[in-house]
Amino acid sequence: MTTPYDAPRCTLPPASAVALKQLVDAELSMPSRLGYVALLLAALTMTGVVGALWATEPTLPLRVHIAFGFMVGIGAAWVVFAVWVLTTRRILLARHRVIAGRMAVTFTSLFVCGALGLGITTGRPEPYTAAAVGVVMLGAAAWILIRAHRSFGRLTERRDLLEKEIGRRA
Amino acid sequence: MVPYPAPAAPPGEPFQAIPDYLTDAVRGSKLIDIQDPVARAHEDEWLVVRCQLGERQAFDELIERWGAPIWRYARRLTNSDDAADDVSQNVWLRVLRGIHRLRDGSRLRAWLFGIARRTLMDRLREQYAVPNVTDVDVIELPAAVDASDDVEADLATVERELARLPVVEREVLTLFYLRELSLGEVADVLGVPAGTVKSRLFRARKLLRREIERTPESGGDS
Repeated sequence: MTTPYDAPRCTLPPASAVALKQLVDAELSMPSRLGYVALLLAALTMTGVVGALWATEPTLPLRVHIAFGFMVGIGAAWVVFAVWVLTTRRILLARHRVIAGRMAVTFTSLFVCGALGLGITTGRPEPYTAAAVGVVMLGAAAWILIRAHRSFGRLTERRDLLEKEIGRRA
Repeated sequence: MVPYPAPAAPPGEPFQAIPDYLTDAVRGSKLIDIQDPVARAHEDEWLVVRCQLGERQAFDELIERWGAPIWRYARRLTNSDDAADDVSQNVWLRVLRGIHRLRDGSRLRAWLFGIARRTLMDRLREQYAVPNVTDVDVIELPAAVDASDDVEADLATVERELARLPVVEREVLTLFYLRELSLGEVADVLGVPAGTVKSRLFRARKLLRREIERTPESGGDS
C-alpha cells in the first residue's frame, strides 16, 4: 500500500538526510537484534546449567564453590547486559518480539530435551535439575511468545482498521 | 488563495485565527501542513502502529514525513545548521528507541515535538549551563535566505524576525502556527498549562508584530 501522506513539503539538507538514513539502518538492524537475543538465551542457559550443577553438588571444596559462583555471576552479568541492550538500545518491536519468542521456545525446548536425554542415559540427578531449570525457562519463553503474538495481532488489527478508515476518507 | 484552516483546537477551546502578520504567503508555504485534523490523526496513528509492528518502510516514511519539520524546528530554535543536524539526529535516536512506548499514535505530532523540545533543552542546558531555558537570551543570527519571489521573500521576513525573538516566544509561535499544533498539544510539548501557552502566544505575537513593523523591507512600516 502506498502512503496516503502528501509528498513532503520541505526536504532535509542532503547531508542530514544521509546521516539520518545511516542512523536508521544501524538502529533497525535485524542481525544485531537477533544477535543480542541469542546472547541472552546463551547466557541464560549457561547460568542455568552452572547453577543446576552448583546446586546439586553441596560437598564440593570451597574453591570450586567460588568458581561456580564466579561463573554464575558472569552469566548473570551477560543476561543483564543483553536485557539492557534489548530494552534500551536495540528495541524489540512487535515483529522482532515474535521472532525472539520463537527463538527462545526453540532454544529452551532443545535444552530441556538434551538435559532429559542426558539424565536418562547417565542415570545421574544433575541433568534432571538442569531440565527442571530448563522447564521454567521454557514456560517463560512460551509466555513471552504468547504475549508477543497477542501484541502483534492487536497491532495488525489496528493497522488494517486504520487503513480502511484512511481509504474510506480518501 | 485557498482559505487556510486554523490549527486544530481541542473541544472547548476557541477558534484561533492566524494573525495577519503571518502572511498568506507564509500560511500557504511548504512549512505548513494543510490537512483534516481527524484524517491527520488517523494517518499519524497508522504510521506509528506500523513502526511498532517493525515495518522498516514505516520508519522511512516517518522520517520522510517528519524529518524536515523537526530539523526546521531545531534550526529555528538554534539558528545553526550544524546544531540542527545534531539535535535532529538525537531526536530521531530517541524516537526510534521510544516509539514502542507511544500508546496513542494519534498524538504522534505532540510526542515528536515534545522529544525535540527536550533534546533542545538538554542541549541548551549543556551549552549555557543554566537550569532554565527562559534564562537564555535571544541568539542574534539572521538566517540567510535566497528569496526568489514574493512568497519566499515574505517567508524569509517571518523566518528572520522569528529568529530575532527570544527562544520561548520563538518556540511557541513555531509550534502553534508553523507546525499547527493545537493549544493542548503545545501545552503537552512545553509541559505547561494551556493558559500559559495562551499568554506566551499573546506575548510572542506582540513581539513578532513589533519586529516586523520595525523592519522597513517587510512592508510593516506602511
